[in-house]
Amino acid sequence: MSMAEEPIKVGIISCAGEEIPEGTISRLAVRRVLEHLRPGQTVSICLPLFLAGNEGERDFARNFPTIIIDGCDKRCAQWGTEKHSGPVNAAFVVTEMLKGAPPLSGARSGRDLTEADLAAVELVAEQLAAALDQAAGTYTGSQPAAAGTSSACGCAVGLPSGTIQVNGKTIEIAGLPLIFQQCQEDGLAAGSPDTPARLLAVVRVYHAVDDSEEQAYAAALVEAYRTSLASDR
Amino acid sequence: MAESASSKVLVIPCSGIGKVHGLMAREATYRVVEGLEPETSDTLCLALLVKGDEEAVAAVRTRPCITIDGCPKLCSYKNVQLAGGNIAESVRVVDAFKGHKGAQPGTATELAGDGWTITDEIAQQIAARVRELCGGEEQ
Repeated sequence: MSMAEEPIKVGIISCAGEEIPEGTISRLAVRRVLEHLRPGQTVSICLPLFLAGNEGERDFARNFPTIIIDGCDKRCAQWGTEKHSGPVNAAFVVTEMLKGAPPLSGARSGRDLTEADLAAVELVAEQLAAALDQAAGTYTGSQPAAAGTSSACGCAVGLPSGTIQVNGKTIEIAGLPLIFQQCQEDGLAAGSPDTPARLLAVVRVYHAVDDSEEQAYAAALVEAYRTSLASDR
Repeated sequence: MAESASSKVLVIPCSGIGKVHGLMAREATYRVVEGLEPETSDTLCLALLVKGDEEAVAAVRTRPCITIDGCPKLCSYKNVQLAGGNIAESVRVVDAFKGHKGAQPGTATELAGDGWTITDEIAQQIAARVRELCGGEEQ
């Protein structure tokens, strides 16, 4: 499929609030959209990662038209996304979406969900899918190439990735161009004594690095960063 | 002895939406706070804490916390730490797989048999730690 034929990908961020049954409904509804209702058209990101992330994660809603689903009126997902990444295309709250529907059982665990809970998931998911179609239909921006499939892993899906060579292996790191861009904007020089540790620390937030490979990763990151800086000149 | 809500150990999962490990962290939490140690443990919305909710921040600072993370990004651990939380234990779902080579845990939407088995093991481990923290039975 050519780039011109790529469907517009829409981001969905869910609160997944652990304390409340509606958090479970929001999480499952997003999974339903990702896997069944709009596979290949939807990307997601873990809300805690988004909220605590750096510019790379927070570019999420700038790169994708974004829909928010919160479990309750505290609206943590909407608050965090709009604060860090700008306006969203649509924002929903499960408690409001389910007004008039049969009451939830109160279950939070997947072990205990009832038919009414699963019907609520479906109802919420279908509204999200409709909002997704609307958001995609009105989007006019350009999008980065999505890294991986939307249903395989929500963490950092859709962020542009970069590669480094570590001990003869090619390693793909999600968000690497954005990490380098942020470091460059912060004035970090490739030759600075702090650079290896700083690059490694940022990359480690999103990518597992075995302790035994720390030095190799740091060296590879500095080399890739140096190349990135040179190419921008 | 039943603990008051203000002294319950907080079990805080990442609930990562993209991986089965996030679902396992979430389900292990419910197994502990609803099934194994309902009188001495409770959970907290991680997003609410990250948002900076005053009550949530005060809770993690004054009560022992056990974080459960699905992936190496350790969102729960890092966010509780950033909030100044009192982390008594950090649990990583991936570590529980070491004794289950080749296990098929299911998906980020639904756990399969292996996933529930490993999740219950994680929950047992956390429940034991909750009891320790409450001055009860030790493992």
